[in-house]
Amino acid sequence: MSVESEAEDRPWQVRASVIVVAIVVVAALLGFVVLPVVQGRSAGVDAFSAICRALGLQAGSPAVRQPVSATRAEPVSLVAWTEEVIARLHNPNEENGSDLAANICASCHGADGVSPDPAFPHMAGQSAFAIYKQLHDFKNGARGNEIMASVVEQLDDEQMADIAAHFAYFTKGALDPTTPVTNDPAIVRLVERGITARGLPACASCHGAHAGGPIETPTLAGQRHEYLAAQLRAFAKGERRNDIYHRMRDIATKLTDSEIEELAAYYAGIGLYQRIK
Amino acid sequence: MTSVARLTKAHLWIAFAAFLVACVFGIWQMWARSPLATPYVIAEHYFLSVTAHGVAMAFVLTTFFIMGFGYFTAETALDRPLPGKPWAWAGFFLAVAGTLMAVAAILSGQASVLYTFYPPLTGSPFFYLGLVLVVVGSWIWCILMIVAMREWKGAHPGAPVPLAMFATVANAIMWLWTTVGVAAELLFIVIPASLGWVDTVDVGLTRTLFSWTLHAIVYFWLFPAYIAFYTMAPQAAGGRLYSDMMGRLTFVLFLVYSLPVGLHHLFMDPEHSTGFKFVQMSLTVLVAVPTLLTVFTISASLEIAGRLRGGRGLLGWIPALPWDRPMVLATGLSFVMLFFGGGGGLVNMSYGLNALIHNTSWVTAHFHLIFGGTVVIMYFAICYAIWPRLTGHEAGTQDAQRLQLWLWFVGMMIMSLPWHWLGLHGQWRRVAQFDYTNPIIAAWGPWVTTSLVGGILLFASAVVFVWNLAALRADRKAPVAPFAFATAVHQPARVPASLNGFGLWNVLVLVLMIAAYGWPIAQFFVLQPPHAVVHRVDRGG
Amino acid sequence: MAVSESDILRSEVRWAMIVGVAVAVIFAAVIYTGIELHVNPPSNIETIDPKALHLSNEFTESNLGTRVEPEGRITTRIVATQFAFDPPCVVVPANEPVTLRLTTPDVIHGILVTGTNVNTMIVPGYVAQVHTVFTKTGDLLMPCHEYCGLGHSQMWATVRVVPRESFRPDAEGRVACD
Repeated sequence: MSVESEAEDRPWQVRASVIVVAIVVVAALLGFVVLPVVQGRSAGVDAFSAICRALGLQAGSPAVRQPVSATRAEPVSLVAWTEEVIARLHNPNEENGSDLAANICASCHGADGVSPDPAFPHMAGQSAFAIYKQLHDFKNGARGNEIMASVVEQLDDEQMADIAAHFAYFTKGALDPTTPVTNDPAIVRLVERGITARGLPACASCHGAHAGGPIETPTLAGQRHEYLAAQLRAFAKGERRNDIYHRMRDIATKLTDSEIEELAAYYAGIGLYQRIK
Repeated sequence: MTSVARLTKAHLWIAFAAFLVACVFGIWQMWARSPLATPYVIAEHYFLSVTAHGVAMAFVLTTFFIMGFGYFTAETALDRPLPGKPWAWAGFFLAVAGTLMAVAAILSGQASVLYTFYPPLTGSPFFYLGLVLVVVGSWIWCILMIVAMREWKGAHPGAPVPLAMFATVANAIMWLWTTVGVAAELLFIVIPASLGWVDTVDVGLTRTLFSWTLHAIVYFWLFPAYIAFYTMAPQAAGGRLYSDMMGRLTFVLFLVYSLPVGLHHLFMDPEHSTGFKFVQMSLTVLVAVPTLLTVFTISASLEIAGRLRGGRGLLGWIPALPWDRPMVLATGLSFVMLFFGGGGGLVNMSYGLNALIHNTSWVTAHFHLIFGGTVVIMYFAICYAIWPRLTGHEAGTQDAQRLQLWLWFVGMMIMSLPWHWLGLHGQWRRVAQFDYTNPIIAAWGPWVTTSLVGGILLFASAVVFVWNLAALRADRKAPVAPFAFATAVHQPARVPASLNGFGLWNVLVLVLMIAAYGWPIAQFFVLQPPHAVVHRVDRGG
Repeated sequence: MAVSESDILRSEVRWAMIVGVAVAVIFAAVIYTGIELHVNPPSNIETIDPKALHLSNEFTESNLGTRVEPEGRITTRIVATQFAFDPPCVVVPANEPVTLRLTTPDVIHGILVTGTNVNTMIVPGYVAQVHTVFTKTGDLLMPCHEYCGLGHSQMWATVRVVPRESFRPDAEGRVACD
C-alpha cells in the first residue's frame, strides 16, 4: 500500500475504532454501574454489592436481596455420582467383584446373575450404576430390606462397586426370557409414548435403549415380573422412597393396579438383547 | 460455463438434497404436534426427526450452499480461475464424509440431542466428529476465499475488490471467528465426553461456547442473501446499485457486530451476570444497523430501476419494477418476511421482553421467518440466476420459478404467523405432543393446524424448486454472455484501504470479543462451578 | 442516472441518522425498564453441585414447594428432574412478591409459566432464580421448555395462584397443593 493511501485510510481507522470502543464503554457503564446502583438503591442492596452482582462476582440480582434458607438436609439416598464413584464403576477390580459375587450374591441371584427365585431380581446385565446405588441404599437404610441390609453390612463402597460392575459387564445379555410379551396396545403406548394428559412420560424415555435418563436408571428388560410389580407398588405406597426427587414415586402413584401388573409383564417378557442392540 | 461449474453444482446438489429431506421431517413434526391423530409418533422418533431437520437445514444446506456459491462468486466476480481447486474438492469430500457420518449416527437413533447439542446429554461420537469434518471442510473454503482475494489484489494494486467478493471474504473471515466457539465446545468438552474419556462436563461453559457460535452462524447463513440484494437484485431489476460503499460498510458491520452478541441467546440462563447480558444486548441492537442500511440502499437501487422503466411519483416506481423476474420477486418477498422477522427479533434481543417469549414458538417462528424465509428464498433466487451459467441451459419459461417463490412465501407466512401468536400465549418448544385435553392448550389447536397447512405449501414449494433445477437440463441453451454482478451508480475507482480489506475489522472483532466474552468465559475457570454427569443417549442407560 | 455522488451521500447520511434515532429509542426503552421497573433477566451466579443436590440442605425433598420464610419473604423451591418437577404443583399468593428458586440434579431444563413473563433456564450446577408477582389467580401451566430427553413432552407442573386470604401457611410457613 502506498504512503498516500495509508494517510487516506487513517481517519477511517481512527473513527471506526473510537466509535466501536466508545459504544462498548457506554454500554459497560450503564450495565455495570448505572443500572445496578439505581436498582440496588431501592431494593436495599448496597452499591458495591450491586456492581459485584452485575459483574457476576456475587450471586443474585442487583435489584433484589438474596433469599436465605436454614433447612437441614433429610436425604432419601446418600449416593452421589462423583467422578470417583463413576471411575470406580468403569474400572472395577474384576477378580474382587467375581469373588464377592460368588460368595455373597450367588445363592439368591444365581451364579451368573440369573435368579432362580421369582421374588429375587435378576442381576445379569443390570446397569452397574443401578446395582451400586441399591447396594449403597440398602447399607445406609435408604431402602429397607432386612436380608439385603445384613448382606451388604460388611461391604465398603469399593466392594459394592466391584460387585455391581461384575454383574453389569460379565454377564451382559445372559437373560433369555421365555414369558410371553404383553401386546396390549394401551401398555405398549404407555411404554413408548407415555400419556401427556396424566403427566406420565414414556417408560422408554428413561428405561429405553437410547434414553439418556438419570444415571442410576435400572435395566427393566427381562427382569422378574413379581419383582417389578412389587417395586412399583412399593413406590406407589411410599414404602420405597430411595428414588431421589420422587422420580418413581410420582409415576407409580399415577398408575392403576392393572397397569402395574401389565407393565411388569411387558418388561419381564422383553429380551435383554432388545435393549442393548 | 465456468470452470468451477462442477464444483459449485456438486455443493448445491448436496445442499438441496439435505433441504428436501429436512422439509419432510419438518412437516412430520408439525403434524405430530398438531391436534390431528398421529399414529407413529413416539418420542424417540420425534427427537430423531428434530435433530435431523436441524442438522440438515442449519449445517448441511447452509454450509454447502455458501461454499458452492462462494466458489462461483470467486471465479465470476474476480474474473480469474479459482486458486487451489483440488483443495476445494478435498474440502467438499471432507464435508460430505462428515455429513454421512452424522447422518448415520442420527438415523441409528444414537444422536437425538438436537442440532444444538445440550450437553450433558451426549450422543454418538460419530455425530460430533462428522460435524467437525463439515466445519473443517468449510475452513478450507474460507482459506481459499481469502487466498483468491489476496491474489486478485496483488494483480490489481489499489483497485477496489468487487463487492460480491468483498462480501464473500467478509463471510469467510466471520465464519472462521464464529466456529471457534463450537469447535472449542466439541473438541475440548463434548467429544471427550462422547468417547467416554470424561464422565462430567461444565454445562455453563459448554453453553457459553455454543452461544459464541449461535448468533454469528445466522449471519453466516444470511450473507449470500445480502450479496444477492446488493450485487444481483439491482442488475436483475435493470438498474444500478445505489452505493457500493454502503455495501462494504454493511458487510464489515455484520462481521464486527454479529460475533460479540451471542449471550443474548442466554438471557434466561443463570450462569451469566446482568451486566454482561446488558453489554451484549447493547451490541445486539447495533446488528439492526446494517440491516436497516441495506433496506435503504436496496430500495433506492430498485427505485432507480423502477424510474428507468418509467415509474413516476412517490411510489410509482414500485409497480414499474419487473416483478416477473425471479430475482426481483424474491427480493421483494424476502423484504416482507424480513420486516416481520426483524420485528420479532427486536423482541427476542430485548433485555426485558425476552422473558415473555424465550423458548416459545415465537422464537421458532422468528428464525423460520428470517432464515427459512428471508434467506432461503434468496438461495432459490441465486440458484435460478446462476444455474444457466452452471449448466449451459436456460428455462424456457419462468412460470414454475415464480410459482415456487410465491408458494414458499405464502407457506412461510401461513406457518410462522400463527407460531408467533402461539408463542405469545406460551406454547413452548421442542415438544413431541401436546395435551389438547387441557383447556389452555386446546385453544391453540386451530392455530397449530393452520400452520401445518403452511408447512404443506412449503413442502410443495421445495419439491417444485428441486424439480425446476433438475428439469433445466432439458430446456434451451443459455446465452454465453459472462455472468455480471451489479455495478454501482458511481462505481468507485478506489476505496479506503479499510473498506478493501479486513485488517482493521479483525482487530476490532478481537477487542469486542475480549470485552464481551473475556470474563463470561474466564469466570468458569476462576469460579470452577460443579460439573454435571454425562447422560449418554447412544447406549442403554 | 442523474444522481450526483454528493446527493447520494447526503441521502445516506440522513437515513443513517434515522437509523441512529431508531436504535437510540430501542436502547432508551430498555434502559427505562431497567431503571424504573427494575427489569432484569434472571441472572444468579449461585453454584450448587448437581451430583449431590439431594444431599444439600436447601434442596432436600421436604424443603421443596412454597414457604413463607421466617423473615416474611415467600420463596418457592422447585427441582426439575428427568422428567418431572418436584413438587408437581406449587401454591403461590396473588399480588405478593414471590421468589422462585429452581435447580436440577441431571440435565438442562427450563420453565415458563403460561400467561406470565416468568421464564428461566435451569442449568445443572446453578440455582436459577426468578423474582415475580403473580397477578391472576387460577391454575397456570408450568412446562419444561428446554429439551431434556425423551420424556420432555410430558414434563410439566402446575402453579396455583390463590387470593391472599386463601394462602394459609402451616406452622413451618409451608403451603402445598391439596
